[in-house]
Amino acid sequence: MRRLAPGLASLAVLTAIAVTGVAAQQKIARRIPIAPDASIRIQNLPGTTRVIGWDLDTIAVTGSAPAGTTFYMGGAGRVAKLGLESDEKTGFVPGTGLLEVRVPRGARVWVKSAVGSIEVEGLSGEVDVASASGSIRITGSLRLVTAETMEGDLEVSGGSQLVRVRTGNGKIVLFRPTGDLTASTVAGPVQLLDAQPASARIETVSGAVTYDGTLDRRASLEIQTHSGEVDLRLPPSVSAEFDLYSVGGTVLVALSPKGPAPKAAKGKPQFFTAGGGGANVVVRSFKGNIRLQGRD
Amino acid sequence: MTCAELRARLDAYARDALSRSEASRFEEHLNGCAECQAFLEAAEPRLARTESLARQIEPAPDLWPGIRSRLLPRGAGSRRRFLVPAWMLAAAAVLIVAVSSGVTFFLSRGEGGGDPSGPVASASGRAAELEAQYASAAADLALALEAARTRLAPATVATIERNLAVIDSALAESRRALAGDPGNATLEQLVVAAWRQKVGFLRRATALTTEL
Repeated sequence: MRRLAPGLASLAVLTAIAVTGVAAQQKIARRIPIAPDASIRIQNLPGTTRVIGWDLDTIAVTGSAPAGTTFYMGGAGRVAKLGLESDEKTGFVPGTGLLEVRVPRGARVWVKSAVGSIEVEGLSGEVDVASASGSIRITGSLRLVTAETMEGDLEVSGGSQLVRVRTGNGKIVLFRPTGDLTASTVAGPVQLLDAQPASARIETVSGAVTYDGTLDRRASLEIQTHSGEVDLRLPPSVSAEFDLYSVGGTVLVALSPKGPAPKAAKGKPQFFTAGGGGANVVVRSFKGNIRLQGRD
Repeated sequence: MTCAELRARLDAYARDALSRSEASRFEEHLNGCAECQAFLEAAEPRLARTESLARQIEPAPDLWPGIRSRLLPRGAGSRRRFLVPAWMLAAAAVLIVAVSSGVTFFLSRGEGGGDPSGPVASASGRAAELEAQYASAAADLALALEAARTRLAPATVATIERNLAVIDSALAESRRALAGDPGNATLEQLVVAAWRQKVGFLRRATALTTEL
């Protein structure tokens, strides 16, 4: 018997899903049973999508389908698909339509949007979220968070195990990250707040980078930017080896308030060990300034 | 069937497009040819890694074991197939070469990266090689994006262009600096990083044209 690749298997299942049309401007209220670890694909190009994890093995959707869109939903077992489909002739009005989708906490959820914002909370499984210009907000402790937006802002809160986030010129804010993370922007700033990641790798072209938190002895922090300003705020007692270098910018080290007066070094790499070493901190910049300061 | 013939027929085999006799010869050769088995085996980890690079390419992570398990119990007369077209293998290879080798390069340069004045034996050659790979990948992606730009909203196109301008400016600046200080490991890192950003951004922008 032919064995289908997983993606195609999902497609085959979903092809059989009946599409349910809902008249324009109608309210949506639908639910279907689903496995607790199901893969759920949600597409809502024009409007806001809220995904909320709950303890039922059910997908429940409420919201509204605006003019120019059709709501569809279907699935069984471990696969489901739902969303607002745009009418090719009339198109949709950006910013309209709302889907509030409750899914099992352990689900793997995929959400795509064009202009609408996406919010995810209460999940423990995996999310893969993308929007062209809408904002993205994800809250909770998940196994895997993948999020991309071209120009919307992106916020992830909580100690997810693996976080991969990217924007173009949108802002990335990561609250209390504790796992492994990578964050990348072109011009958007990246902020890690109250951070204690196992490892973090941050890349920007011109976006500023702020790291405010601490580092465990085995943690690693790598930051690379072309021209973004880099601000590191760490406890003076941090145990880490620092390797800070900006080719054309300055490096200012003021980790300890009791230490000597800070000096800004321009165009010179700064290597030093604090607190006996442990964590690794590497910052590379072409012309952005790097500042390392103590925090309470 | 020769090894080259087998590899040329991967796509057709995957699509179930071979005749019964050709499929039998394909399977017979694969079962008896360690090189072809190694060829597919080597493809497996690359394909798995590709998932993180481009989400449009989602090969089965257990590709080879799956193929082998279906090939070994021969004699049942049933034809066995897998569905990973050859073009996916090719696309995976291009992206992996362009992107992951850049990451490897970056990591391998990490230790000496802090000493811009130190000698970096053959680093410029490697950087130039990587640049060529990135430039090629970026050109392909830019062409694909250009061909599909009408599918994107004007505002999105403007955003993409704005971001690409930022990347190109950074790339030009760091390349100029490297040209003035060839062998500077940190500058090489930064040039490679800018290329990586460009390829990554183009890939995401291109993906938008198909996803949205």
